[in-house]
Amino acid sequence: MPAVSDRLSRWTPLIFACALVNFLLAQTLIVAGMTWPEMALTAGSTLVTVHLITLGWLTLLMFGALFQFVPVITTKPLLNQWLSLAVLILVEFGLAGMIVGFLALNHGASGLVYCLPFGGTLVLAGVLLAMGNIVTPLLHSRPLALPGRFVLAGLAFLLATILLGLTFALALSVPAFTPLVAPLLAGGVGYHVLAGLGGWFTLTAIGVSYKLLPMFMLAPEERGWWGECVLQLGISGFGLSVSAGLLSVWWPQAVLLNAVQYLGWLAIVVAVMAYLIDVLRLYRTRKRARIELHNRATFGAFLSLAAALVIAVILVVSHRLAAYAPALVLLVLFGWLSGLGLTQLYKIVPFLTWIMRYSHQLGRGAVPRVQDLVDEARTSPWFVIYFLGVALATLGAFINVAYVCRTGVTVSAGATLGLAFEYWRAWRGYYAGRARPVAPIPPPCLSRGGPAP
Amino acid sequence: MTTPEPLTLDVREELHRGGEPLPRIMETVRQLAPGQALRLLATFEPLPLYAVLGRKGFGHQAMHHNVEDWEVLFTPGTAVPEQPKGKKPHTTTVSTSGWPAPSAFLDNRGLEPPEPMVRILDSLEHLGPGEVLEAINEREPVFLYPELEARGAAIHTDKRDDGMHLLIRRGA
Repeated sequence: MPAVSDRLSRWTPLIFACALVNFLLAQTLIVAGMTWPEMALTAGSTLVTVHLITLGWLTLLMFGALFQFVPVITTKPLLNQWLSLAVLILVEFGLAGMIVGFLALNHGASGLVYCLPFGGTLVLAGVLLAMGNIVTPLLHSRPLALPGRFVLAGLAFLLATILLGLTFALALSVPAFTPLVAPLLAGGVGYHVLAGLGGWFTLTAIGVSYKLLPMFMLAPEERGWWGECVLQLGISGFGLSVSAGLLSVWWPQAVLLNAVQYLGWLAIVVAVMAYLIDVLRLYRTRKRARIELHNRATFGAFLSLAAALVIAVILVVSHRLAAYAPALVLLVLFGWLSGLGLTQLYKIVPFLTWIMRYSHQLGRGAVPRVQDLVDEARTSPWFVIYFLGVALATLGAFINVAYVCRTGVTVSAGATLGLAFEYWRAWRGYYAGRARPVAPIPPPCLSRGGPAP
Repeated sequence: MTTPEPLTLDVREELHRGGEPLPRIMETVRQLAPGQALRLLATFEPLPLYAVLGRKGFGHQAMHHNVEDWEVLFTPGTAVPEQPKGKKPHTTTVSTSGWPAPSAFLDNRGLEPPEPMVRILDSLEHLGPGEVLEAINEREPVFLYPELEARGAAIHTDKRDDGMHLLIRRGA
């Protein structure tokens, strides 16, 4: 029988907490007017904010969730629990290095610019460790279920994204390296973004949602050929558009590359549409009549994804993607990815808290239910406010009115803070404690290290 | 050789009283003559029993006469072996040889996690040392394993088309 430590990722709650702090920090920078849309897209502070969201918040959130759920998907343990802590430390320190490097870029502090590739290397090391930790149980589980295959594909795109980013970092900080990749620096940033937001985050989020949604709504987990289509089209779509796009940086006139790129776009559109339809099918075929708050609120994320898809198609067809790409990225980052993250956290946090604190008391006395750890009525307004804020910010970005965009982010930042407070209350057993005495708080490593007393 | 007449067991009254007829049913099954069938009268279709008696080789034929009036004929030697299509059955290494027949049964399908785990651990605490609980879950109970380990209980899992079949034996 597997050991206790095999099933619970003991560092996941700490990783979630750090990720949330990074997200709040990024939103604070936008609210303070220190980034785009007030500042240029290429401003150091804008790049700091973008990477606080993508690496500090979303990547760490995804790692924390994968460290916990890959062993559940595969019923195989992680390579090593301590690797998870090492990943957190490397990514946080790497990110700090990158932040110093980005700021130095703007202020001409050439000595400190080297922090950018140095930080990027630390992040790469952290990502490689995380991949080892996650891929090991995945490869030990054959045949691999659909969610696991999405995760593997996502991790491949993550590696591509990080390597591209590191290339940019070297080009920006090492003058001898710059001429070699000058075209990439000029025209390749969009593909770094596409590989990250699409290949890494979206494919992985789809995979994780294919596990979490059926699990808590009691819907059929087998997605059949439909799910297979989403996976294959998603991989080939993001793969083709990113690789052909990168090559077209050197050969912009190559008709074949442009055709392949459009083929990739088409595959992405079909994949995302098929996924959204499948999500609707999941909700319709669920066995649970009542949908819990996290899965009701997740609709905001799915709506954002659908809106982003429609807008992206319109922008590509009307050749206006370049002008409105930042607004589209904002919608994807805040609405789809952060929206999905915040809503699913509202289930994952109480569920993990419950498993860690109460499962050993089962059958031996009164134990609160998972739902006793949360107060849905108190929390649901925060989700509404969050998505309204995102809608306002997106509108502001599209009509190019900076203060509207900032107001929207201010609203969503307030809601994020409110939600963070609710996660904290779930973790501390605040609501369960109102009804009955709670178990002692777990030690800082956030796990039960041994057999129950 | 003639086949003996089915033995009839009526558990409707017991079910109406809120009782748990499983021990009596299992006892009756043990008393059946070789080849003899069991005719069970119940207030609902006893789906969980299909799995329990199917393991003993009994096939079933259900008749729904009226609301709260079911007749099910369990005939030995007619069970269709359940074999997942295209998949190898997944079974843990724990052997169940020497385990007594289950003295409790839980159908946890249709319950949201962690409810199946709550019910299993609750039931386990009510079993005597060495007694066995049978359960059917929708999914492999990954969070249950460490709890069972901590309590000295053993588990045997068997993944079939209709769910994850579990046999859990309480520690001595």
